[in-house]
Amino acid sequence: MKNDGELVEEVLRGVHSSFEILLRPYRQGLLNMVYRMTGNLEEAKEVCQDAVIKIYRYLNKFKKGRSFKNWIYKITVNSTYDFLRKKKKYEDIVEGQKNLVNGASPDPEKQLLNKEIRAKVEACLQILSPKEKAVFLLRDEEGFSIEEASKVLGCSSMSVRTHLSRARQKIRTRFEKIYPIRTRKV
Amino acid sequence: MNCKKIQRLLPVMVGSEIPESKISAVKAHLEKCPECRHEYESYILSLEKTKEWLKKDRKDWEDREWQQIIQKAVRDKEPEVSALAPWPFKKAWAYALMAVFAIALALLVIWPSFNNEEIMPGTRMLAESQTELFRSFEDKSKQEIISMTMVSKETGLKIVWFFNKNFELEDKK
Repeated sequence: MKNDGELVEEVLRGVHSSFEILLRPYRQGLLNMVYRMTGNLEEAKEVCQDAVIKIYRYLNKFKKGRSFKNWIYKITVNSTYDFLRKKKKYEDIVEGQKNLVNGASPDPEKQLLNKEIRAKVEACLQILSPKEKAVFLLRDEEGFSIEEASKVLGCSSMSVRTHLSRARQKIRTRFEKIYPIRTRKV
Repeated sequence: MNCKKIQRLLPVMVGSEIPESKISAVKAHLEKCPECRHEYESYILSLEKTKEWLKKDRKDWEDREWQQIIQKAVRDKEPEVSALAPWPFKKAWAYALMAVFAIALALLVIWPSFNNEEIMPGTRMLAESQTELFRSFEDKSKQEIISMTMVSKETGLKIVWFFNKNFELEDKK
């Protein structure tokens, strides 16, 4: 089985079919990362599509010997930040999620899927800032190490630890509000 | 370590991101302090549950959709190939080199103007004398007389010096 570096070289030599093989292991992770950040599956797919096009376009800039996974996540996270910035989407998402948690009418797609779990996830994530969310998702959902996350987000390991710590504190506080009995002091 | 310090470390303790040197101290504290232990358990529970929900709510592409995106990426653009060889050093070196070139270029441009500074205060060389002089370079053999005109800024007094081809002063008006 070929590693990422070999597949990158194949794509650059013109073997287009290797591009799909190269991205296949990360396709779900990338989608979910963007989905949690934007709060909307359709928007997440659009952002992912842009990111995939950028990955292909700038593949020659990928430095051999570095982590391909970190590189593509960095492109994807930056594309997501751009998306959120451009559309000033973040405030709208927070507002939308508040409505959902408060019981306002969710869209039909959300009704089809597991509404209860989605509401719980969103209730926990909505209180996080974009950076805290990115750190939390990279570490606790995608399983990145602190160092890997710091490379993806272009910040120090200390900054990642601080944001992660803050994110977990906020999630715990929110969790205690959702389940006050289970976590009440004994 | 007191409870306040321990509670600051608990969010990173649950994910094992805590420095190894502090683990034993935190564990020892948790064994004897029920309040901090409760906090710790609360962190574990909230993190486990959130991870569980995230796992259950995981999305994936439809195969057809994914293939379309890949095809679009491959069809739209070829990977960029740089005409130049990749820079083998850190970017900072490239910037430093560019700065050195820029300074050298600036000096080359500025230096001649230093040499053309005013000869005497209140006096400047006129362009016409220079033009005359430069024109003479085209046919040096025929050049017999060179003139140099200087005009005072304050008084408007004009002095014209005439030199022969050996640059000896011939006349002054």
